[in-house]
Amino acid sequence: MTVDSSVPSPVETIPESPPQPVLPLQVHLKGEEGRLLLLLPPETPNLDGSPTSLTWPDLWLQLKQRLNAGERFWQTNTPVHLMAQDRLLDGRQLQEIADALSESQLKLERVYTSRRQTAVAAAAAGYSVDQLSAAIAFLNKPNSQPGQALAEPLYLQTTLRSGVEVRHPGTVVLLGDVNPGSSVVADGDIIIWGRLRGLVHAGAKGNAQCLIMALQMEPTQLRIADNVARAPEKPPAEFYPEVAYVTPQGIRIARATGFVRPNLS
Amino acid sequence: MSRIIVITSGKGGVGKTTSTANIGMAIASRGHQVAVVDADFGLRNLDLLLGLENRIVYTAVDVLAGECTLEKALVKDKRQPKLVLLPAAQNRTKDAVTPDQMKRLVSELAKTYEYILIDSPAGIEMGFRNAIAGAQEAIIVTTPEIAAVRDADRVIGLLEAHSIKRIQLVVNRIRPAMVEANDMMSVQDVQEILAIPLIGAIPDDERVIVSTNRGEPLVLGENNSLAAVAYNNIARRLDGEKVEFLDLNAPPAGFFARIRRFFGSKPRS
Repeated sequence: MTVDSSVPSPVETIPESPPQPVLPLQVHLKGEEGRLLLLLPPETPNLDGSPTSLTWPDLWLQLKQRLNAGERFWQTNTPVHLMAQDRLLDGRQLQEIADALSESQLKLERVYTSRRQTAVAAAAAGYSVDQLSAAIAFLNKPNSQPGQALAEPLYLQTTLRSGVEVRHPGTVVLLGDVNPGSSVVADGDIIIWGRLRGLVHAGAKGNAQCLIMALQMEPTQLRIADNVARAPEKPPAEFYPEVAYVTPQGIRIARATGFVRPNLS
Repeated sequence: MSRIIVITSGKGGVGKTTSTANIGMAIASRGHQVAVVDADFGLRNLDLLLGLENRIVYTAVDVLAGECTLEKALVKDKRQPKLVLLPAAQNRTKDAVTPDQMKRLVSELAKTYEYILIDSPAGIEMGFRNAIAGAQEAIIVTTPEIAAVRDADRVIGLLEAHSIKRIQLVVNRIRPAMVEANDMMSVQDVQEILAIPLIGAIPDDERVIVSTNRGEPLVLGENNSLAAVAYNNIARRLDGEKVEFLDLNAPPAGFFARIRRFFGSKPRS
């Protein structure tokens, strides 16, 4: 075991383990072969019966937030394919999605759906439509079996403001501040290039090897796998980029310069 | 081109309505045509602060119901003829109006008035959505308290999602002595979290309460308080002027000298 080159700051560990997060999927944008896929979370409940369904206003808000956080990375007029899955969308909602996309200089071109009504609404609005059978949509649905590979990292440039929650089945890289009252839940690592003042949960599916990194670490709460910790009561006199990781004694925080994960070698 | 500005906060009681009344009055006294819109249906207060309660005949709901013209519902201020108030209905709730209807009212006002200030209700529900529906920019009012700042942060996120990108900050009710003693967040502390440009910092002042109860916005008063100067400065900055921020931390002796200097060099119209 390598000795950590810097002294890990004491972090108060909270005894109880965090609630096992059910991860209802969020709106997700993903580049693929020169086009952008806009994936909407499915409307049907999860296999375990937990409710996933986002209401339309929440879904719209999430779409706007994700678009604002990624604006810089897309070229203008990139075609967008909407993967609506089994979600019912009427003409007005499709229009609102198209409006939000065009505000970010993106163009809605094609709609994939397993619902007949959505397909009809999309066709009426003049988009190309692919109606998949519900069975295929079901097969494409991410399952909750263990041993799944993590999703590609999610890269966002935004300030996460109070009330915003980002969930991602992989690593999250955020360029900006995580304000108090907001949270990031990731199945992989969480890297904050900014001030971390909200709640973050790395390795949410149980991977205790996951790390949390921030330029300025002042979290409301840190969670890695099933460990929970609070930041020290008194903020340090000076802030350095820091890394939070799990040790047998709980979560520890170390200066990022010279950080070597103790259990690597 | 008129400017449509919503004044909002998330949390209640931080001074949205007081700020709307004073900023509206200050802009009007700079010679602009101003309409202030009370979007707090069911809990209207803006008319009280402006001292116009007893002159309301029709409200925004009557206009939407087609019972009167918009022109007729507007209450003119006799002290400041360039300012009009579009009152909210007191006997209705927030659901009496839809965002689309608000948008219509506001764009109708925009034909005549240079500045339209919309006084938003607290919260982020229907009333808030109505208030921001027609707005192009926003002023966030907060006090230097963590609860108010937290709510302001949430509201800024919602405004950004609704594509209102020009958002400016007013920090209200600062007590310099408490900031000095590290017992209160400073303007810089607030700004560090909210990360939006500052347009004004208003010191805590008992005279604000007096003026509220009298229905006379502070900026109309004869003996100008520091709070009134701060509100006037916000109006000037909105108008595109570069104005230094007041030094709220200066000792009291300096206050009056500075105010005298301020009014000596730049008399108000």
